[in-house]
Amino acid sequence: MEWKSPFAGKSEKMIKSGVCAGLFIILLMCPLFMKSPYLIHIFNLTFIYIIVAVSFRTIMTSGQLPLSHAGFMGIGAYTSASVAIWLGWTPWITIPFGAFVAMGIGVIMGYPFARLRAVYYAMISLFFGILIISSVKAFETWTGGAAGLTGIPTLFGFSKIPYYYFFLVLTSVCLLVLHRFEFSRTGLTWKAIAQSYHVAASVGINEARYRILASAIGCLFSGLAGATYAHYNGVIGITSFSLMSTILLLIYVIVGGVGSFFGPMIGVVLLMTVPELLRGLREYVPYISAAILLMVVYLMPKGAAGLANSFLSWFTELRKNRRTRDAS
Amino acid sequence: MLLELHKVTKHFRGLVAVDDLDMGVDGGELVGLIGPNGAGKSTIFNLITGVLQLTRGKITFNGIDITGKRPHEVAELGIGRTFQLNPLFSDFTVLENVVASFHLRPKSSLLDTLFNTGTYRRNEASIREQSLEILNLLGLDKVRNELGKHLPHGHRLILGIARALAVKPKLLLLDEPTRGMSLEEIDLALGAIERVCQEGVTIVLVEHNMEVIDFCDRVIVMNFGKKIAEGPVDQVRKNEEVIKAYLGSAHAA
Amino acid sequence: MELAIGTFANVLILSSMYILVALGFALLFSIVGILHVAHGAVYTISGYICYQLSQAVGLNGWLSLALTVLVVSSFGLFLERFCFRPFFGDFDRSLVVGIGLILFIQTTIVVTTGQEARSIPSFVDGILRAGPLSVSLERLVTFAIGTALLLVLVWFINKTKPGLQMRAIAQDFRGAIMQGININWISAIASMIACGSAAVAGCLMGAYLNLNPFMGDYVLSKAMILVILGGIGSITGLFYAGLILGALDATLPVFFSGSVAEVIAMSVIIIVLLFRPTGFLGREIT
Repeated sequence: MEWKSPFAGKSEKMIKSGVCAGLFIILLMCPLFMKSPYLIHIFNLTFIYIIVAVSFRTIMTSGQLPLSHAGFMGIGAYTSASVAIWLGWTPWITIPFGAFVAMGIGVIMGYPFARLRAVYYAMISLFFGILIISSVKAFETWTGGAAGLTGIPTLFGFSKIPYYYFFLVLTSVCLLVLHRFEFSRTGLTWKAIAQSYHVAASVGINEARYRILASAIGCLFSGLAGATYAHYNGVIGITSFSLMSTILLLIYVIVGGVGSFFGPMIGVVLLMTVPELLRGLREYVPYISAAILLMVVYLMPKGAAGLANSFLSWFTELRKNRRTRDAS
Repeated sequence: MLLELHKVTKHFRGLVAVDDLDMGVDGGELVGLIGPNGAGKSTIFNLITGVLQLTRGKITFNGIDITGKRPHEVAELGIGRTFQLNPLFSDFTVLENVVASFHLRPKSSLLDTLFNTGTYRRNEASIREQSLEILNLLGLDKVRNELGKHLPHGHRLILGIARALAVKPKLLLLDEPTRGMSLEEIDLALGAIERVCQEGVTIVLVEHNMEVIDFCDRVIVMNFGKKIAEGPVDQVRKNEEVIKAYLGSAHAA
Repeated sequence: MELAIGTFANVLILSSMYILVALGFALLFSIVGILHVAHGAVYTISGYICYQLSQAVGLNGWLSLALTVLVVSSFGLFLERFCFRPFFGDFDRSLVVGIGLILFIQTTIVVTTGQEARSIPSFVDGILRAGPLSVSLERLVTFAIGTALLLVLVWFINKTKPGLQMRAIAQDFRGAIMQGININWISAIASMIACGSAAVAGCLMGAYLNLNPFMGDYVLSKAMILVILGGIGSITGLFYAGLILGALDATLPVFFSGSVAEVIAMSVIIIVLLFRPTGFLGREIT
């Protein structure tokens, strides 16, 4: 995998920050123009899934493929929802609680799994994800089992708009934190482990500790996203947190571009948001998704973000050349 | 004694790779470890750094018992090493390879890292400076933005040394550091090793290149997992056992 | 007694079908080098093709089966050439292609035939009686075909030259190429076999049980469990895993409720993999 260097050029960084800031402002104003609550709902779902997809990729940077990730979203969701329903606590407390439970289980799972090589880790976490869903089904009395859990207390009541701003802010904060990790020494260390654990150990890097850290952070945010989703939707079911969901997450990351922090965002928009918007086409929607997938995989080796990055480099090179030409 | 190996033995399911080895290295020495291929030299490095577990015996470093410690713990205590097959961080640039290797000293805490505090920024700036210094020292500064996987063989070996230096080791284990190098690269490497020695770092070298061995204070010769000779270079050269091991008994007589 | 025999027969049939699909999946992984997540979809669409042939076109049951296997095996050739070969060694992208295929196949089924469950009319009718025991001919024939096919495949892999070449590739890819084995040719054969056997399983199960557009997902996950537990690269291991899983599937639900049984089964699998990541008889994955 090829990573964007943390030493990326100043002009590239400025352009990227500019784009992000601009996007944020545009998103702030969007609800004023959106009449349909369904449209707002899609944006809300997009925000939530961006958190999950980016945190998935964060774990991937440490060389682990967490095929149980959607399951942790489920742990956050079911924990928060059950505690709110059965113990009556307010969602504002149960949501962080659910997130921390997810993180805790991520750490506990991390310990024995951190010594496994990449392929074996992937396989075992795949089964762990299935185990999570089976456990939810087994504890029917609390979780509603296969039928799902309804009557979850919501954060803001019926209108979708307060949720929009809540999710916009939440996602932005989560992205800032995850971005910070990736482009700091921690992220560098994760990427070092992913490339060669032998070399990493020889320079004093404790592979297990950093892998568990990656699991913890990834699961924390996934659980957080799941918990907030539960108190937004009012209803949760096991199909949202199944193995297929995790594989979809992986697809979002790959299509967006594994080497790019913003890749998963693009993947979510292309493969979740766009099909949802096209719901009118009903059964034919998966054809569009399939077409997007096949197009990206046959035509864009570095994913959609890779394409965007190439364009960005080309553009900054162009500006640099123009500036030196003007100067001479 | 900075490093002491006491009756160290390593069995690999019927194969005795290292047999009852006693060995010691003093601080500041430049020690050569030589012997025919398969004599167990790399295995000894792997045993010291914890990549392999001992079957029997004890290893102490700086007074601390490091038998059974894991590789990153050994690195933390101050032992740096290079590898024979020379893996590196292939998706990082040369500079990133060294920067990433400055993991131990200085160490920023997780909170410092997360909140981008002054301490963190100062540490990172210092690390960057030191990395460039090391690259300059070893002649790699021109290729500092080359990706690891694009590096030619000689550069990789030198990068290996650069990485080991980032650990700021008290003891440096170099596993065939000049293997496959061109003459100029060997000169460069030798110069670097000399300078590192002057800084007071103890070095143990595994080498086949006699030119490099000539620089050593002392040489230990291994064959079939056993130590067969030890002493200053000229003395060892005349040793019958050593000649037999390398060239066959016909030459010894 | 009747029920016990019935359940036992059920388990045997299901196990043989799962092993058939798992074998194809394992072949594709070890030889063609692809994690064929769309294998379940191949299984599913085979059932539907057979259904359409026997219902819409009105062909005889066995003819439909034969034709389906032919069509799907050829599709295997197409897959190998255009979907597997370009992405050999690239796990990420081969996965995306697989998902794209699944979406395409499942949507086509839903759009053409609809989501409700269908069933292929049985290939054989009737009941065989032997003293106090009786078993439906359909069960017998399904089991017979499944087992026979498995035996033929095992014979092929172990006793024929192409089979030998396949095993060589699975063990040491580079070495096999250097010995002059034509990887493209062997991959094509492997894909044909894999898709063909999935087709047989799909048709037989479509008649024995029923068809729905998503039945492949369940079968695929069973196949993956078998391959991982049995160990990558080991066919004997696969058989052992198939038998053990079949036994677990049959006995656990007797003592525990369905979902608790699943939890226990998953926990056992995880613990086994923690101590033996390579499965029962598998090799280290390089």
